[in-house]
Amino acid sequence: MPSVIYHPAYRNYDFGKHHPFSPVRVEMALDLLDALGYTVNPVQPEPATRADILSVHEENFVNCVEALSSEVDVPDSARYGLGTRDNPVFPGMDEAARWIAGGTLHGARLIEQGERRVLQLGGGLHHARRDVASGFCIYNDLAVAIRYLSQRGFWVAYLDVDVHHGDGVQQILYEDMHVMTVSLHESGRYLFPGTGDIHELGSGPGRGLKLNIPLEPFTEGESYLETFEKVMSAALGQFRPGVFVVQAGADAHFDDPLADLMLTTHDYETLFNRILHLADTFAAGRVLFTLGGGYSLCAAPRIWAMLYLMIHDLPVPERLPAAWCDRWSRITGAWMPEEFHDPDLCYRPVTNREEIILRNRHVVRRLLDSASHYWV
Amino acid sequence: MLVQDIMTSPVQFIAPNVTLQDAYQMMQEKGIRHLPVLDNGRLVGVITDRDLRLATSALSPAPFSPGANVSAVMSRTPLTAAPSDPVEDAARTMRERKIGCLPVDDNGRLVGIITGLDLLDALMRMTGADKPSGRLEVRLADRPGELARLAGFMSGLDLNIHSILTYPEDSEKTRAVLRIGSIEVRLLAEDLRRAGFDVLWPPARPCLP
Repeated sequence: MPSVIYHPAYRNYDFGKHHPFSPVRVEMALDLLDALGYTVNPVQPEPATRADILSVHEENFVNCVEALSSEVDVPDSARYGLGTRDNPVFPGMDEAARWIAGGTLHGARLIEQGERRVLQLGGGLHHARRDVASGFCIYNDLAVAIRYLSQRGFWVAYLDVDVHHGDGVQQILYEDMHVMTVSLHESGRYLFPGTGDIHELGSGPGRGLKLNIPLEPFTEGESYLETFEKVMSAALGQFRPGVFVVQAGADAHFDDPLADLMLTTHDYETLFNRILHLADTFAAGRVLFTLGGGYSLCAAPRIWAMLYLMIHDLPVPERLPAAWCDRWSRITGAWMPEEFHDPDLCYRPVTNREEIILRNRHVVRRLLDSASHYWV
Repeated sequence: MLVQDIMTSPVQFIAPNVTLQDAYQMMQEKGIRHLPVLDNGRLVGVITDRDLRLATSALSPAPFSPGANVSAVMSRTPLTAAPSDPVEDAARTMRERKIGCLPVDDNGRLVGIITGLDLLDALMRMTGADKPSGRLEVRLADRPGELARLAGFMSGLDLNIHSILTYPEDSEKTRAVLRIGSIEVRLLAEDLRRAGFDVLWPPARPCLP
């Protein structure tokens, strides 16, 4: 049986009303599963300890988070990315962020103990850097879990399908030869955080093991999935992971308000299927999923509920429960569709579609040309 | 941004009576390409990896031997920068004279060095490209007050602008390129469009209903 990790304390990771990274998104996904008749029995983790956090973060930064968390003023908090529009300070944020990191770390421990599929219903805070909070991310739960696994002899393939570049995970593990990172994201030409270029390939012993695929704005599912296949088959020909860690951000969906990729729920279903298949083929089925970005209240809960169903080999239903739609439309004001999946024609045709496909192919070729230079 | 903000300091240097072989080894070990040459504390030249390669090349009609002195090959009376020079002045000197470095001279004392790579670092810092940020590109009429109107729109939104660059597009229009320390630039772009600004990046979303 796959394990699902969740704790009510995750809800305290909350930057306040009107902030896009709202705990309501996970609540909606859980409630959707409940409305579909599935009882989620999560494993409850412990919060990460200070020492766990210090395995990937600098002490000055952690001191700053702790001080602000207990409402002690830190004059240079903006230096650590805190007290900004993206990462406003809230009381108890150190503990809230440690709960999230503890959950993902618990997932790593379960994998170590022999579990195959694990879904952490939270986390995926991939922007947090060694000494800076960034892009809604305070502590990097992914890096904590990956470091735990790699220190116990696992070769880890980190796969990041969030629409934004997984810059924090990449930065923390840039030299680690036991970890391959692959991030598919919308090009940083204008999108946050601006990094994730094909030339960022890792350094020292990790050189050639950090792969970035910056996709054109308005890339659709077909081109996205073609890119995914090409890069993953080349990467896994080189690096044999013992476990996959997957940041399953739902913000590459076309309805996401913060970015411009054009995936549908059908594309996400294909993508998740392929990831599960790769984990089965290359890593004895060992895969740890976290959530991540995903700011469309209409799309993200469906995508994450679908991920839950898929790791349990349960069917994806055709329709959404009407009561669920009514309830969450009323609470959030967001529009809810009747069907679980997006309809066939859910957005107008992308005008320069062919050009986008060609450019993405070109990027993949250039990436593999330069990365394979470091592969034996 | 001043030369003293971007220079490498302290600086590796070499004496004029050292052999080319030793200069080569020093560059390899330290991973550097430019060495100021100091004679009794006085700057007398600069020797670069290119100088070494050309001087000792088998293709040269009269190649120097590895045991020749640095003083035979170095560029004499090198151009220098002062610590308080603006970086754009240093960039102009290096570009006009087509040279790869400037030793930094503070009242006769060698205090640092800047190279072309330091200028690229400066470019990245000036554009804010070294910080997690989103990029916003706006077309403005080339008249007083337009940039203030744009910045004014953002004030109060708690948005940290890491950098603003402007350049003329034609005689009537100016482009403003801003790097903003937020993941929410796409939302900001929509707000700016609604307020009548001509936002070029992030692009509009013609395919959404």
